Amino acid sequence: MKKIVTIIILGLAIFSFVAISASNQPAEEQEPYDEDTYGPEAPIVWTKPVKAVVFNHKTHTMDQEMDCESCHDDLFQMEAGVAQEEEDFTMESLYDGNYCGACHDGDTAFASNTRCTSCHIGVRGHARLLGGESSEAQGAGH
Amino acid sequence: MKIEELEKMKPESPDVLPSKERRSLLKIGLAVTGVYLGGTVLSLTSAKNVMAEGVVPKVGKYPYSPHYTMVIRERFCIDCELCKEACVETNHVPPYGFRTTILEKRRDIVGGGYETIFMPVLCNHCNRPPCVRVCPTTATWKDEKTGIVVMKESRCIGCKTCMTACPYNARYFDEETRAVDKCNFCYDTRLSKGEMTTACSEACPADVRVFGDLSDNTSRVFELLHAPETIVWVLRPEAGALPNVFYTNA
Repeated sequence: MKKIVTIIILGLAIFSFVAISASNQPAEEQEPYDEDTYGPEAPIVWTKPVKAVVFNHKTHTMDQEMDCESCHDDLFQMEAGVAQEEEDFTMESLYDGNYCGACHDGDTAFASNTRCTSCHIGVRGHARLLGGESSEAQGAGH
Repeated sequence: MKIEELEKMKPESPDVLPSKERRSLLKIGLAVTGVYLGGTVLSLTSAKNVMAEGVVPKVGKYPYSPHYTMVIRERFCIDCELCKEACVETNHVPPYGFRTTILEKRRDIVGGGYETIFMPVLCNHCNRPPCVRVCPTTATWKDEKTGIVVMKESRCIGCKTCMTACPYNARYFDEETRAVDKCNFCYDTRLSKGEMTTACSEACPADVRVFGDLSDNTSRVFELLHAPETIVWVLRPEAGALPNVFYTNA
């Protein structure tokens, strides 16, 4: 009887150890993000002409396998966020094929006048980005 | 009352009740039972030639003139919050309260990932407003002409019952005025001064908030609500408050 109990306890201990260590490891090994290859990891957030629009280098370079030359220095300057100082940095201009609209035309990538909230993360989204995930509850307020 | 007088009175116990009175009581009981039973039996028979109705009132069935309404084209909202800023500035809303705000929800989409949906909310100016019904001092009521649910600060005693009754969380307590405050479609600040829209509607860069008179069938709100092949919904229809803020993706 004692033996059985010992075996069960030992079994549970091993099982829980395996379960815990498994949950700590990511599902699959991801290639480390290299900023020299893929551009800055931190998302760029535009606040003009409206708050708040996000651009992720990772989504475009690492995931979509685009080169730096696809956008720089033709569509966008290397310096982050300078585009929003331009007069024509508007949705209307995007529809004409400028800036993001060069690819986001409905052909290469989803059209600029669709899926608004993919890029427009809003004031709430921006606050969450700045404060990290821990501020999720704070963002839920008003 | 004196005991002697009481002793002289007729007893009222059931064994001395005249049978006529007993019968009439029984009849009342049967009548009540009959009414309820009749209703139950009737409800079991299927109704014919009946159609389900949506949340949009039938054309011409608008109780107010002008019947102020806001139509929110939800999928265009990008949470830039220019509407909130305009509202705060126009109506002097303190930082701890709001007359309108933006809520956020997520929906999983095909191919993995999710999409964010921003949901602007404000007072729904209900046709059957629960807040009005519960106010003990008639500090809030539905304006007879426009249908706007208005507040009279001086009458408010700050009991906050209206805040509890509102299904839309559209009211807050203003610490300065010691009264509950809420959206009134900018009636005092804009509409009464000849403006045609609310501050939030004017400020919206994405044309999300469309404000207008539903009783005017040439108005944009009328066109949006009565456009063919579109879906129009309201928030919490089960509350039965009959809101006048409608949502669509058209």
